Amino acid sequence: MTTIDSPARTVGRVRRPGPRRGSEAVWFVVPFVLLVAIWWLVVEVTGTTARTFPQVTDVIAALAEMAASGDLARHLGASLQRMLIGAVLAVVTAIPFGIALGSSPRLSAFFSPLLRFSVALAGIAWIPIATLWLGYGDRAVIFIVWNAMFFALTYNTVLGVQQIPVQTVRAARSMGTRGPRIVWEVLLPGALPSIVTGLRIGLGYGWRGLVAAEIIATNAGLGYALFLAQSQFDTGVIIASMVIIGVLWLLMDRLLLAPLERRTVERWGMKAVS
Amino acid sequence: MNTLEINNLRKEYVDHYTGETIPAIGEVTFSIGEGEFVSVLGPSGCGKTTVLNIVAGFIDHTAGDVLVHGKSVHGPGPDRGVVFQSHALFPWKTVLGNVTFGLRMKGVPRVERERAAADILELVGLSGFERKYPHELSGGMQQRLGLARVLVNEPEVMLMDEPFASIDAQTRRKLQQDLTEIFEKRRPTVFFVTHDIDEAVFLSDRVVVLSARPSTVAEIIDVDLPRPRTWRETVEDPRFREYTHHIEERLGGGEPDAQAG
Ligand SMILES: Nc1ncnc2c1ncn2[C@@H]1O[C@H](COP(=O)(O)OP(=O)(O)OP(=O)(O)O)[C@@H](O)[C@H]1O
Ligand SMILES: [Mg+2]
Repeated sequence: MTTIDSPARTVGRVRRPGPRRGSEAVWFVVPFVLLVAIWWLVVEVTGTTARTFPQVTDVIAALAEMAASGDLARHLGASLQRMLIGAVLAVVTAIPFGIALGSSPRLSAFFSPLLRFSVALAGIAWIPIATLWLGYGDRAVIFIVWNAMFFALTYNTVLGVQQIPVQTVRAARSMGTRGPRIVWEVLLPGALPSIVTGLRIGLGYGWRGLVAAEIIATNAGLGYALFLAQSQFDTGVIIASMVIIGVLWLLMDRLLLAPLERRTVERWGMKAVS
Repeated sequence: MNTLEINNLRKEYVDHYTGETIPAIGEVTFSIGEGEFVSVLGPSGCGKTTVLNIVAGFIDHTAGDVLVHGKSVHGPGPDRGVVFQSHALFPWKTVLGNVTFGLRMKGVPRVERERAAADILELVGLSGFERKYPHELSGGMQQRLGLARVLVNEPEVMLMDEPFASIDAQTRRKLQQDLTEIFEKRRPTVFFVTHDIDEAVFLSDRVVVLSARPSTVAEIIDVDLPRPRTWRETVEDPRFREYTHHIEERLGGGEPDAQAG
């Protein structure tokens, strides 16, 4: 999972606002600018036609048209809504399940082969079954997002709970923490570094599952936009949709996961092992 | 009545691979009076941590009784506060959050919690660090926090398992001195495990010497040194050297058949 991390993440524990952060942003953008420049040059020099690969300007035009026609908002809205519902469902199911497994050696011994088996299959491989069960539409796509995230998130939650030092739990118990309160006071915060890792991996799976499911199972969303453009040989829209998908992932990572990490595990000196 | 009584305690571990039972504690009996500081010394692997973990309620024993104020203990509880060698602080809580943890579990209101915490942090020399997280403290400060987190709950007995073992020698001396001062001020009841003979004698009212595994009580030594104690004065007291020599001989001399019988 380190490959998609920006170099900025590994620089230091606490990020300060101000000039340093500004220069980080610049360094984040530079590789993309370079990529676009090379793209433009290669298409220009080789004389590649839009039928094979669009020029930068074609993609910008496609984006502008998608925005103007309202298609962009419609697809974006559909995708984000499904992603959000699927992700929330995954969080509220996988974390409690993972904590239950992690705190019981017997349960985790029983389920862990199954979990490892399922992580490999999670998400995309379930699309045929999902459409059989739930038909073509939102429900099948949400199921795929949930499913894609669930196993990775559960697995990492279990690991996180198991990695809490036994003395930490004992300390809490010897100070009068009883019953389910231990979950909130110790297991959840103690497992958080690993849960955040699971969330990052899971969201990556979920995002890919979303796009794949939308290609097959629905008539709105970024995946569907890709599919439609392909059937119309519109490479401009294809690349534009891919760019949007990638940019959304980056935004999700930078605006959601990174701040969550910064405020919790980094602040606490418990940096996630990624 | 003694605050803590350990009567005919026995413990056998079961090896999960071979199914063998390994006797760890042969037969241990001793007690700690109210406001008394008792250290348990013994060769490595003799079962000191095991005794402490049983008293803390973290593990079960095979036979015998552990009584706190005459009542037998079952599982961990706030009447027995534990200071761990690995300090076992909560990294997700600030210094203040760590110190007030036990009081919060007891349902003590916030204002009172914070007042009690301020007193204790002052006592252990951590005033001004309330908003820091444990990873921002030095090893010595972390161990002070581990101590404060237990002291603030005023447990019936404090259990300390080699709390200074992984701290550099200089800081350790300072922590021992400070612990003595805190003890002399507050008079908690302390069960202290160590294998540092000087430390045991300096800190304690009595030292319980255990034999090699399966351990029995080899000797209980009353440490008759005046309080308040300081390292400077105590090491110059000829009785201090007598005690430590005596214990050294007791621990080193009896090998290898110290456990016959
Ligand atoms: N969970 C366990 N399972 C099996 N045997 C154990 C277990 N814990 C401890 N023992 C054994 O019991 C004996 C006593 O261990 P214990 O940790 O109590 O010794 P100790 O006196 O605290 O040693 P040290 O001075 O090295 O800390 C040792 O021989 C150890 O190997
Ligand atoms: Mg030990």
